[in-house]
Amino acid sequence: MASISVPMPGVQPAPRPKLAEYLRWSVDHKIIGVQYMATAFFFFIIGGALAMLVRWELLTPALDASGTGSAYNSLFTMHATIMIFMWIIPMFAGFGNYIVPLQLGAKDMAFPWLNAFAFWLLPPAGVLFLLGYFVGPAETGWTAYPPLSVLFSGDGQTLWAISIHIAGVSSILGAINFIVTIKNMRPEGMGWFQMPLFAWAVLATAIIQILATPFLAGGLTLLILDRVAGTAFFDPSRGGDVLVWQNVFWFYSHPAVYLMVVPGMGILSEVLSIHSRKPVFGYKMVALSSIALALIGFTVWAHHMFTSLTPQLRVPFMITSFIIAVPTGIKIFSWIATLWGGKIRFTAAMLFSIGFLSQFVIGGITGMMLGAIPVDIHLHDTYFVVSHFHFVLFGGSVFAIYAGIYHWWPKITGRMMNEFWGRVHFAITYVAFFFTFFPMHLAGMQGMPRRVAEYAPEFQTLNVIISISAFVLGISTFIILANMIWAIYRGKVAGPNPWRALTLEWQTSSPPPAYNFKGTPIPFDDPYGYGTEAANAYLAAMEELMTPAAQLKSGRSAGPASASPEPVAGD
Amino acid sequence: MNLSVGRGGLGSSTIIIIVIAAAAIIFGGYVISTLTPSLLPVQASGEAEQVDGLFRVLMFLGGIVFLLVQGLLVVTIIRFRRKPGDESDGAHFSSNLTLEIVWTAIPAITIVFLAIYSYNVFVSIREPKPDELHIGVSGARFAWTFTYEDPLGRLPADGPQTFNDAVLHTYVGRPVVLTMQTSDVNHAFWVPTMRIKQDLLAGRTTDVRFTPILAGRYRVACAELCGGGHGSMFSYVQVYANEQEWMDRFIDVRVERILNPPTDPVEVGRSLLTEGKYPCAGCHKLDDLGWAGVTGPNLNGLADTAARRASTAGEPSAESYIANSVRHPNDYTVPGFQKNVMPQFGPTETEPAEVDGAYYLYMPDEDLVNIISYLCTQSATGTPTCGDTASIEQAVAAQSE
Repeated sequence: MASISVPMPGVQPAPRPKLAEYLRWSVDHKIIGVQYMATAFFFFIIGGALAMLVRWELLTPALDASGTGSAYNSLFTMHATIMIFMWIIPMFAGFGNYIVPLQLGAKDMAFPWLNAFAFWLLPPAGVLFLLGYFVGPAETGWTAYPPLSVLFSGDGQTLWAISIHIAGVSSILGAINFIVTIKNMRPEGMGWFQMPLFAWAVLATAIIQILATPFLAGGLTLLILDRVAGTAFFDPSRGGDVLVWQNVFWFYSHPAVYLMVVPGMGILSEVLSIHSRKPVFGYKMVALSSIALALIGFTVWAHHMFTSLTPQLRVPFMITSFIIAVPTGIKIFSWIATLWGGKIRFTAAMLFSIGFLSQFVIGGITGMMLGAIPVDIHLHDTYFVVSHFHFVLFGGSVFAIYAGIYHWWPKITGRMMNEFWGRVHFAITYVAFFFTFFPMHLAGMQGMPRRVAEYAPEFQTLNVIISISAFVLGISTFIILANMIWAIYRGKVAGPNPWRALTLEWQTSSPPPAYNFKGTPIPFDDPYGYGTEAANAYLAAMEELMTPAAQLKSGRSAGPASASPEPVAGD
Repeated sequence: MNLSVGRGGLGSSTIIIIVIAAAAIIFGGYVISTLTPSLLPVQASGEAEQVDGLFRVLMFLGGIVFLLVQGLLVVTIIRFRRKPGDESDGAHFSSNLTLEIVWTAIPAITIVFLAIYSYNVFVSIREPKPDELHIGVSGARFAWTFTYEDPLGRLPADGPQTFNDAVLHTYVGRPVVLTMQTSDVNHAFWVPTMRIKQDLLAGRTTDVRFTPILAGRYRVACAELCGGGHGSMFSYVQVYANEQEWMDRFIDVRVERILNPPTDPVEVGRSLLTEGKYPCAGCHKLDDLGWAGVTGPNLNGLADTAARRASTAGEPSAESYIANSVRHPNDYTVPGFQKNVMPQFGPTETEPAEVDGAYYLYMPDEDLVNIISYLCTQSATGTPTCGDTASIEQAVAAQSE
């Protein structure tokens, strides 16, 4: 089974990934993980290009570059939908697929065929969605509020709804797989609270996906029926109600925000601990606060409706929205305490994680401001909101994705990425990100609504600053893309465990062989137990076992850990 | 200096440092909160003062969180950076109960305070005030229309008891309540200087209150995406200094015009358009009326273009071309523009089975005659290209069949 092509003396060369394997149906979670990531990155570039067009239009207060208002509206509609459903969610699904079974010491996901099927739903969904451009694209924003989305949007709106439907099915199937895998396939010796925090985050995310996505599916079905079958779920003149859509949509879409942030928080916990060689502070609280975020996240949806919901009903949602601040605060302070007393290595992964902390906290503060109804009444649907959610979804999720790429790319490809260019990428991204999104707060507070192609002339200076920074930010994406590709062919050979990390994905070769481990790996007691003798002993023993010579010897059956389980069991 | 967490027992120098840092952070939060007036537009309503008070508190608390987290982060990454050549691990500790209780309890207490304060402000700005001025708001893609009553009840009993304008006219000190409806999709009525916003929801009537405190002219924006012309769907609130000025300069002028209507159809047509009876302003450009829309064709020099295009569109005259464009907007679309964007303005109050446009709105023949009479004056040469009123009436009658 294992296909380790050895045996150069010294370090074992990682087998180069074969492109053809990634273009075929495969039930190997590692192939599927890369398939998710590559697909997501492809759509990230498309979604980013659309954002560049949006910013190009907004260089001047008049409607010019995009031709018509409808064409402009389709740009940001497609941008948002692609970034959410085709980039962030699938990208984290990719990380989850590749990393979680490895972190659990498992051979694969619980349902490999289902796993492949869930992935292969995505490319058709994305293509169908882009085909909207040939029949009149969706132009109602990703929120698709009726009556606008029923009366005044092209047939692309129907394709939009169908493709999100398909992406939603993919998401639900993936989530079932993650829950079953995490529940059942943890190795002996790994209790719930010895599980790596990324796996915890994926578990919390999967719970949200299973509970929330069916509501989106229900809402989309009603929308499609209203558009094509003449029903009147959202048509008040025939007894329907437009607020039904808003409630159903946000009942999914607010939890979806946590869907897009919680896995990133999981990555952050891994990177901050490993790259500062320090245990995660308050491990249990960090793990449980992911679950808390997932559950409380279901009670806050109507804070997106503070200017449309019946006024008396708004207050409870303000209170639940404020409550979200508590678990979020716990996480942020725990991460800082994780760094405190560590030996911080400023790797690209670490830099992006620190960047996440410093940008995400701004998104958290503006989130609190928007949670207060009277302030939200002024700021709702303005550029302040656009700024807020980009601080969460770009400063948070995308920074975490970048950190995850720099951290796990050596595991996935067997090659190190270039750290110098990683730092350059970080510096440009961090600065360009800030100057793209921070000035949007000011425009929004001063009175610029979102989703407009034409705006009052006094906002032009701010918008020019924003657009130029956005172009720099857009270009900076190609630095990491080039680095990823360069690493595959020219990167330094990584070896099994370049970061000397304790979690199980690092206790096998890079990339791991078919079925991941030779024999049954034995996890270290505490996945983040850095700074102990036992941890060093475990790592030393593992290193010994991972040398090519040892690999060859143990090739018969015994796994690396089984050679000397006693000394590595830790305290 | 012993700043290590998890060992218990803080030295006195540590405590001093923490106290100084805390004081500095709180002072920093105060400084950040004083930025509030420069970040927000001028306060033109009583509600704005209350909302800004809450905003200032949020800036203060947010400023503290910002400085605390960024400060801790900077101190941490400088102090605990790996020294060159050091391959060892960091300290082994992973919990501190006191700290964890502190950073759970302080935010929890803060949100209780914030929730109570926000609730009070919210109740106060929603509360009905005595002697409110009632004004109707109607949103349509992509224009605002405001509906008024004569406070002195001078309008003829047999006519409508309200009149319209495209601008919201109010005066300082009088609480206003707006009753809002949309004729098509959802919109949101937003006056940034008043800090008020409320969605107009299809099939529902919503309301919003404010009390102007500062005379001036303020922008009204649509804040809920309503289609291609969303960005150009704006109007103004005109706040007069006092009731007298409001009566003299707005109400009396309008009531007078209703009591003694002008007979010149050009003038009547012009006022129909400026009063916003029909939602044309958001989509069309017409310098004479200050319209700047881009969703529909430019109406500057329409009299000339209509005469030129009449034959292409298969219409006998300029007036007939304009009448056709209003009654059947899908019949002939100007190159570069799409069908089903402009509503059909039909001659009957009841909607026909087949709508020939984006949706249906009622426009009686006499209004159309007056509007065409006005539009026919929009000629570069200054000479109207249409026929006389009789000819316009004939063209309208032909299109209304």
